[in-house]
Amino acid sequence: MINDTLCIIGLSHHTAPVEVRERLAFSPREVAGALVNLKRSRPAVSEAALLSTCNRVEMVAATADPDLAQAELLSFLAAERKLEQSALRSLHYRLAGRDAVRHLFRVGASLDSMVVGEPQILGQLKAAYAQAVEAGVVGLILHRAFHKTFSVAKLVRKSTAIGAGAVSVSAAAVKLARQIFDSLQDKTIMLLGAGRMAELTARNLARLGVESLVIANRRLERAMELARDLGGTAVTLEHCTPYLKLADVVIGSAAVSEPILTPAELYPVMRERLHRPMFLIDLGVPRNFHRGLNELENVFLYDIDDLGRVAAEALNEREQEAHRAELIVEREVDAFCRWLERLELVPAIKAVRSRIELLRDGELERHRAWLATLAPQERAHVEALTRGLTNKILHQILSELRRLGQEPDKRFALVIAQRLLGASLAPAAAALIAPAAGDDEGGGEPQS
Amino acid sequence: MITPWTLAALLGYVAAAGAFAAGLWSPRERLTSWGTTALALGAGFQAVDLFLGALKAGNMPVVNFAQSLAFLAWVTALAGLVTIVRLRLVLVGAVVAPAVTIALGAACLAAENGDRSFPQALRSAWLPVHVTLAFLGQALFVLAAGVSLLYLLKESRLKARRPLEIPDSRLPSLESLDRINYRLLVWGFVLLSLAIVTGALWAAATWGRFWSWEPVELWSLVLWVLYAALLQSRLAIGVRGRRAARLTIALFAVLLCSYLGVNLLIPGKHGGSFG
Repeated sequence: MINDTLCIIGLSHHTAPVEVRERLAFSPREVAGALVNLKRSRPAVSEAALLSTCNRVEMVAATADPDLAQAELLSFLAAERKLEQSALRSLHYRLAGRDAVRHLFRVGASLDSMVVGEPQILGQLKAAYAQAVEAGVVGLILHRAFHKTFSVAKLVRKSTAIGAGAVSVSAAAVKLARQIFDSLQDKTIMLLGAGRMAELTARNLARLGVESLVIANRRLERAMELARDLGGTAVTLEHCTPYLKLADVVIGSAAVSEPILTPAELYPVMRERLHRPMFLIDLGVPRNFHRGLNELENVFLYDIDDLGRVAAEALNEREQEAHRAELIVEREVDAFCRWLERLELVPAIKAVRSRIELLRDGELERHRAWLATLAPQERAHVEALTRGLTNKILHQILSELRRLGQEPDKRFALVIAQRLLGASLAPAAAALIAPAAGDDEGGGEPQS
Repeated sequence: MITPWTLAALLGYVAAAGAFAAGLWSPRERLTSWGTTALALGAGFQAVDLFLGALKAGNMPVVNFAQSLAFLAWVTALAGLVTIVRLRLVLVGAVVAPAVTIALGAACLAAENGDRSFPQALRSAWLPVHVTLAFLGQALFVLAAGVSLLYLLKESRLKARRPLEIPDSRLPSLESLDRINYRLLVWGFVLLSLAIVTGALWAAATWGRFWSWEPVELWSLVLWVLYAALLQSRLAIGVRGRRAARLTIALFAVLLCSYLGVNLLIPGKHGGSFG
């Protein structure tokens, strides 16, 4: 392949409903086999990788002919998952060249995710890359493209706060807990009432690792069920008071008509626990905790609206960060495309070099008999003279060629090189020019 | 004596204070790392300054008030750098850098020309030990007050439910700020205790008695009792968090007043009042 470029076909949460995505999903064990299969049966695809997550199925490929490769990838995907191609036609997207590079970078930087900034996607991309490497279908371009994707993602994460925002109320609660506590490893979480939101929040907190969990509910069976699931102690709501002094985070979601915890009740508890900080999360409507609790020393009370505001604030913050992240991605897309374009010139440069080397070899061969009569010293001198001459000529031509290659209309450089150096350059240069011209219709190449 | 090194150090501290102040309100991490670099440069220049001063005078350059203030600034800058690097509390620089700028600036204004050296009677191996312990202890109390300030800032935002605003979102958790404060207080207290003990031993060696109730001794004892009470109350009745932070700052105010008072108002045999 002479001037391979990047192309992508995929379906994501933007384009396809979950019913279709789940039918297309590949389990990690299937991926390598599928890629080997793809490489064997679809000649236009020279390198490939397959990313399958719950939000997207994408195939990334390097190819000399993006249009053909995209068609092959789609037919492959349909065949592998035993679906009609027509069913996928309106649900997928196709990208080539610069657009494909940008898409890959944006996916890696979590700008295309359902929850923008979520960190899992990078791990999933790394796994997809590893599987493709394992299947032996990754070459120069995909190696570079994936490594660049990883470094762009890292750069975005490092220089913007895109990963810092929280989206949901429970995520906001987790974020706040980390502002108050260093670590939750040695902390106790207590649930007053076992509603869905409280359960979700407890789960999110418990994922960070907590010391223990106490679940107090009016119906003990529900508390026990949840305690079994999450690993904790179940008590009834009436008997929860002795546990309160152990709790560092208390999540209230009980159905009550008036607050179940007031400052007068909590103050002795705080004294007993030597005023170690306590984070009260009130998810109940009507509210479970008295508003005055926030005035107590080292007590932090957030109700559902407060958490919503924190979440909205984070979202706002993240939109600004996403904008900065897009700028970083765009800059890196430029750099990668420049690299790809230089790569296209490599065969032409090789051809020019070998053409001129060939001329020199021919001339030396022609005068072999005469050269044989010379003393070794003189012969070496002639060799050096001719080599010097060819190198000087080559240097001049190649540096001009490289320079022209940086310019938008690099084909001009190739045409000139072809004309000046004769027919022997034609195959390389012609191969270079023809598919590139086809790119124009695909809209994959930058025209700026 | 103000030397070019002193001015270079002051310039470093001013630059650090500026960078940290800007870094406090800007999301760019780079500003605070510039601040750290400037603080380190300032401390480096001042180290050279102090070293040359010590060579010239033949002993530690802490004879008069200005010199002791400059030395305190240097030790505080060093302790601040250690806190920034070891405890990863970069924003403590936002408190330390202005503090050392003010201290060294005041030292420059109060500087006397002509070097006086220690009275012969007081020269002893105890001198550097006692002075270093005392100043390091004070520096840690300065830092503890700075960390307490950061704690109060973050705590008030969390209470007001505006937790994600810069700079609090970049500060460590309340729990770790509180712990850092406690650790600084414990170490400051240990150093203060050792300073009092070594001071008493030095006094015994030169004046023949351990304790002579002069102003610095008296105030050190008062501060020792107050800090002991603060630490004890944390363990016994759980004075932590906001109350601990406020008390730390209050005690620092007492420390500051006593420091300025004994140095400027009540002449004794100590510190900057030998002459």
